[in-house]
Amino acid sequence: MKQVAVILAVVFLIVAVLYWTGHMPWPPGVHTKHGILFAVLALLCLVWYRFQSASSTR
Amino acid sequence: MRTDAVVTFVQAMLLAVLQGVSELFPISSLGHTVLVPALFRWNVDEGSDAFLAFVVALHLGTALALVAFYGRDWLALARGLLASLVRGRIGEEPNERVAWLLVAGTVPVAVLGVLLESSVKRLFAAPLPVSLFLVANGGLMLLGERLRRRQHVNAGHPYRALDRLGMRDGVLVGLAQSLALLPGISRSGAAIVAGLLRDLRHEDAARYSFLLATPVIFAAAALEIPKLFAPDAHVVLVEALAGAALAGVTAYASVAFLTRWFRHNDLSPFAWYCIVAGGLAFALLVTKGIA
Repeated sequence: MKQVAVILAVVFLIVAVLYWTGHMPWPPGVHTKHGILFAVLALLCLVWYRFQSASSTR
Repeated sequence: MRTDAVVTFVQAMLLAVLQGVSELFPISSLGHTVLVPALFRWNVDEGSDAFLAFVVALHLGTALALVAFYGRDWLALARGLLASLVRGRIGEEPNERVAWLLVAGTVPVAVLGVLLESSVKRLFAAPLPVSLFLVANGGLMLLGERLRRRQHVNAGHPYRALDRLGMRDGVLVGLAQSLALLPGISRSGAAIVAGLLRDLRHEDAARYSFLLATPVIFAAAALEIPKLFAPDAHVVLVEALAGAALAGVTAYASVAFLTRWFRHNDLSPFAWYCIVAGGLAFALLVTKGIA
C-alpha cells in the first residue's frame, strides 16, 4: 500500500501541474482551483504513506 | 450608476442576513439566494464581477463566524492532527479522530465541488428547479428522521459518539454533503441526515456538520478572493464590508441557536419549512411566469 500511496501522490501532483499550466484537455484552459485540489490530494497521499510506513516500522 | 446596477444597500443587507441564517440552518442558502431575488423581482446582476465579490465577502463573514464559534475546538483539532502526523498513527484521543473525520468528510465534497460545481449550477441554478429541490430537501430530512427512528427507537440500535465514527462513515457524510451542489439541497441538512443514519445523535451530527462547513465555506471563499479585487468590485465595497459583518453576526447567532436546538429537537420543522416554502415558490413562479 505504501507504493500505491507514492504513485498516487506523484500522479496527482502531475495532474495539478498540468491544470496550473493549462495542459489538461478537460476542461480546456488554466484551472487554478483544479490544480490546488489535486495538489491537496497529493499531499493527503503522502500523509497516507507516512501512516503506512509508521505502522510497518512498529 | 453606483451600486444600483448591481445590488442596492437594502438588498445587500437582506441577502447578508439570508446568507448568515440559511448557510447553517438546513434550508439551503444557495436555494434561497436564487429564489428570493427571483420572487421579489430584484434587478440583481448575479453574473457581474461586483456581485460575485459581494457574495465572496458574505461567505468570508460566515466562515469567520464559524471559526470564532468553534475557535477552541479548532485549536484542539489542529493539535490532534499534528500529533497524529508526528506519531504516524491516528490514536484514540477524540480530537485526533474527529480531526481526521473532518478530513475524510471534506475530501469528497472538495473533489466533486471543484469538478462538478459549474456544470451543475449551469444546469439547475434556475428558480423553478431550485424550488423543486427545496421540496426534495424537506422530503430527505423527513425520510432521514423516519429511518433514524426506525433504527434507534424501534430496533434499539445504540448511538455512537462523534469520535467513534469510522473513516468510511466520514467519507459517506462527505458524499452526502456533496448533494448540496444541487441548489435547493442543504449542505448542513444532508450532512446531519447522513450523520443520523451513521448512528450519531442530533447534537453530534449537527456539530460534525458545522465543523465540516468551516473548511468548505472558507476554501470556497478563499479560492474566489481574487474576485474582491476585480475592476468593478469597488462599487460594492461598502455593501460587501457591511454585508460580511452582518452575515457573520447572523451566522454566529444561527450556529449558537442550532447547537442548542439539536440537543432536544430534530430536523422536522426545517423539513416542513422547505416543503412549504419550495411548494409556494414553485406555485408563484409558475403562476407569475418567472421560471
